[in-house]
Amino acid sequence: MSIEYAQVKEVYGQTLTELGTRNADVFAVEADLMKASGTAPFKQAFPDRHLNVGIAEQNLVGVAAGLAAMGRIPYACTMANFMAKRACDQVAMSGAYNNFNVKLVGCYAGLTQEKNGGTHISFIDLGIMRSLPNMAVIAPSDCREFVQAVNVIAEFEGPTYLRMPKLLPESIFGQEHQFEVGKGYLFGDGNDVTIVSTGLMTATALEALEALEKEHIHARVLHLPTIKPVDTEMVVRCAQETGALVTVEDHSILSGLGGLVAEIVTEECPVPVRRLGLNDQFGLTAGLDFQLQHFGLTAENIIRNAKQVIQKK
Amino acid sequence: MSWDLREMSDTLRKTTFQAISHAGGGHYGGSLSVSEILTVLYFKVMRVNPENPDDDERDRFILSKGHGGPALYSTLALRGFFPVSELDKLDKPLSKFPKHIDRLKLQGIEASTGPLGQGLSIACGMGISLKQQQRGNRVYILMGDGECNSGQLWEAAMTAGKYKLDNITAIIDRNNCQIDGTCDDIMPIEPLGDRFTAFGWHVLTADGHDVEDLERALDAAALVKDKPAVIIADTVKGRGISFMENRPEWHSGALSPEQYEQAAKELGVTA
Repeated sequence: MSIEYAQVKEVYGQTLTELGTRNADVFAVEADLMKASGTAPFKQAFPDRHLNVGIAEQNLVGVAAGLAAMGRIPYACTMANFMAKRACDQVAMSGAYNNFNVKLVGCYAGLTQEKNGGTHISFIDLGIMRSLPNMAVIAPSDCREFVQAVNVIAEFEGPTYLRMPKLLPESIFGQEHQFEVGKGYLFGDGNDVTIVSTGLMTATALEALEALEKEHIHARVLHLPTIKPVDTEMVVRCAQETGALVTVEDHSILSGLGGLVAEIVTEECPVPVRRLGLNDQFGLTAGLDFQLQHFGLTAENIIRNAKQVIQKK
Repeated sequence: MSWDLREMSDTLRKTTFQAISHAGGGHYGGSLSVSEILTVLYFKVMRVNPENPDDDERDRFILSKGHGGPALYSTLALRGFFPVSELDKLDKPLSKFPKHIDRLKLQGIEASTGPLGQGLSIACGMGISLKQQQRGNRVYILMGDGECNSGQLWEAAMTAGKYKLDNITAIIDRNNCQIDGTCDDIMPIEPLGDRFTAFGWHVLTADGHDVEDLERALDAAALVKDKPAVIIADTVKGRGISFMENRPEWHSGALSPEQYEQAAKELGVTA
């Protein structure tokens, strides 16, 4: 089964423009990547609330901090890799330490950088961001959830990192799905194993869930669109009820979702955990499908690891 | 209310010196070089409201060289934001007065700073917001000259030029000292004025220890249209204490009892 992807930038541009219509405090701040973030419609609608600071990511974050200091709601966007690494100290100091209400959007996140390759693929953005006090970290898994997240974080007070892949499935959840900051979502009620996923990988996790069921392995998926503040209770409950976990992310397992889940279960309910993702590796130049295969981020590999981790119970 | 600015700047320098000394030492050099600048800003030029520090009609001030905290704390105390006696908590664990300023700990601090070069970007965001709402409040920012080594500062300088942020007045504490030596030795920044001019700024100079000259320059900066303004204020690091003046090694340090006595005498500190 192959997943149909949509361009998230179109969704972001439209959503932010609608948000900007409802809320006169919303700004879009760009660092010469408006074509990747998709905020041209916002610029057209609100030229005096659309800023472009050029190729200067540190300044991007600082300008956003200054806007936030005045009670405005800046959505500052650059590639996830640059937001987390080039502007790391500004994110930490001008953003998190000051506790300014900045919305930091990391576009072309994770493996969706595809052929831009290892220099551009953000693989530790979630880890860096979740290490910062005050910072909320969000990684939606389909376009509808992404739209919800863009709107919800405008009301959520505090510095927030929103992971924005270049591609996401249009819709993988039911109509009733509503994103809330800090909430984990369960799919399936099997007690054999939990697949914990975030961002781009939830669609694949759900695919693995279905395939496992056909093999009479009763799994569940814990979808964590909020990496921080994480739904600890839900992670612990899954560890208790299923006794084995597989984590899946298009990100380094060091510091990312895998690291996060391992930290929680080690303290609260030690059970075997398998972490799928980049393991101390940079990304590479290749299309998304190749990257996903290369790093084992496929339904087949999730299934294989689920079976193995069940054996370890 | 009006104050004698010269007298107040002397009081501020003494208060700053006492606060740092009570803490067992600290950033004497760059705190003593800015007494006149902070005095003119807080006692003459800026709209501030000690009774309601968050008054939205205030002008904004960013101390981008966050290690000058003791000078800013002393200024706020003398201006009535809190009692001067509280300054003895400087550098104490969990106090409102950490070595580098923290806006979450003390009302009156607009932005927490310390890692250099970040303040001007924040000032730009503030200036853009005020301009977009057509508000007349100004943004003042005090930066160090060593801080001008930082790349981000010039990213922000470009931004202020691009957006014609004539509501920003930047002041450079041009004392020609940074931690490892003189600015001329470590990383020359001249011609500093020409650099800002090239980035779209209106450049003014002032004697950073002459309150009248500073007031003149600040008034002139406020009249500039369509450009941000920078005042390069010539100052002396460690001003007022002979063995500290123009000595990079007094960026930060602690005094021996003998040094304390001499410094206190030179500044006219009693008790």
